[in-house]
Amino acid sequence: MGSPLETPQPLVLHERPLVKLGRVALDAVSGVRALVSLFLRTLWFTFRGSRPKGATALQAFEIGNRSAPFLALTMAFIGMILVYQSAVQLGRIVPDYSMVGANYAELLVRELGPTIGGLMLATRVGAGMAAETASMVVTEQVDALRLCAADPVDFLVVPRFLASLVMTVVVIVLCSGLAYATGALTALVAFDVRLDVFVNLSLVDFGDVATGLTKSLAYGAAIPICSCHCGLAAEGGSAGVGRATTAAVVLSSLAIIVINFFISASAFLVGL
Amino acid sequence: MMIAPLSKHPGEGDVIVRFDRIRKSFGDKTILDGVSFDVRKGEVFFVIGGSGVGKSVTIKHLVGLLRPDAGDVWFDGVEVSRLTEEEFFPVRKRVAMVFQYATLFDSMNCLENIALPLEKHRGLSRGAALVEAQRLLERVHLGRYGERFPGELGDGMKKRVAIARALTLNPEVILFDEPTTSLDPVSARRVDTLIRELSDTLGVTAIVVSHDLTSIFGIADRIVMLYRGGVRAVGDRAHFRETKDEVVRQFVGGFADGPMEFG
Repeated sequence: MGSPLETPQPLVLHERPLVKLGRVALDAVSGVRALVSLFLRTLWFTFRGSRPKGATALQAFEIGNRSAPFLALTMAFIGMILVYQSAVQLGRIVPDYSMVGANYAELLVRELGPTIGGLMLATRVGAGMAAETASMVVTEQVDALRLCAADPVDFLVVPRFLASLVMTVVVIVLCSGLAYATGALTALVAFDVRLDVFVNLSLVDFGDVATGLTKSLAYGAAIPICSCHCGLAAEGGSAGVGRATTAAVVLSSLAIIVINFFISASAFLVGL
Repeated sequence: MMIAPLSKHPGEGDVIVRFDRIRKSFGDKTILDGVSFDVRKGEVFFVIGGSGVGKSVTIKHLVGLLRPDAGDVWFDGVEVSRLTEEEFFPVRKRVAMVFQYATLFDSMNCLENIALPLEKHRGLSRGAALVEAQRLLERVHLGRYGERFPGELGDGMKKRVAIARALTLNPEVILFDEPTTSLDPVSARRVDTLIRELSDTLGVTAIVVSHDLTSIFGIADRIVMLYRGGVRAVGDRAHFRETKDEVVRQFVGGFADGPMEFG
């Protein structure tokens, strides 16, 4: 028996697993609905809104120019690792490296370039967008925008969305090219594969290019939507900004993986 | 303790803003539990109380940044708490707000910050909005700083730019959320003077959330003190100086010891 000074503990009813599962499912559905709603509002304001002059260009600089060195370095090393590992594996079966470059090009254009590039951008750009918008929420700048009759979606999300759409594709294409170049150098130095043998685009067809570009575009749309969604939902002070930033990276990365699956599956179904 | 009774017809007489039995909770924490008071046209009205008592929460209901769980918010005879975001636009043209942290947009210079509501609310062209913004910046004695970005200004100057932005639409009511917090004494008194001037020269009603006793007893026409979710006292400066209520006396006297409960 406790002392009379002890505070009585509230009765805790443990949720049954099914109830918990239902709650998680409902939360997931409402989260997806909020994301879709933000995406539709962003599209609406893209055509009907009026943003400050230069806001999109500023964001394009942030997303493109400032991310390019990080992405280039990452993709360059990934290119070297992939070619090296592929050639080592291939050498154990058939010691013929003549098609390494061709297979690598197909894989890079269709899958690795967009997806690895997208994931890298999600960490760098997504975190930045979420931190910025969350800071504006917790310091009441978003409230101030509403009082100025400026919709936060038009003012904050649309410039990032438009800039990301363009710059994600540009950066991914350029950095995939760099990954191909570092892969070619690796093949030359480590496996004596001449550049004219490695540079072989015979396996890259229209379907690969279309699928790769579609993925890049979709990731370019998903990263700002997921990140700004997390940022705009921030609560509290600096802890809230931190939570929003973490959530943005997780959500953007998850979105990229899920989108990758659906685009790949769709491309397969339509024969691309 | 006397609390002024509410008249039966909001908007009648000189009452411009009325909070009527406002209740607001965040999660399981009740912040406001039946808060009622009136604000009269043209007065400088202070909302005071301990930290976390719901002063800022209360005034945000007037511009639709928060919605009450129960109760009504009246502005000039119209109940506004259930308006949609779009329906709030006309109210926000007449009621401006200066936030605690100035909330200037970092990506815009001072002139662009002030021009934004002119473009959005009044539909002015960019050029006309910037000309008007310059005029307002001069009114708060910062005419030379139009091209500066918020990061290049001190806190007191940022507050004055925010006040200039609040003046853009010639509002009838301006809400000030802790306008002198984090300012040095000189900057704080300049902000006080500006608030008083707005009321005296333009007839603007100022609703000021503050802990700053110098401001409160320097420029307030009337004061309401919130305490434990409700209204503890309403009255003019003399009423608060002479009150026998021990809680109010502790607060306005700034005493560490007393009956006041925190949290």
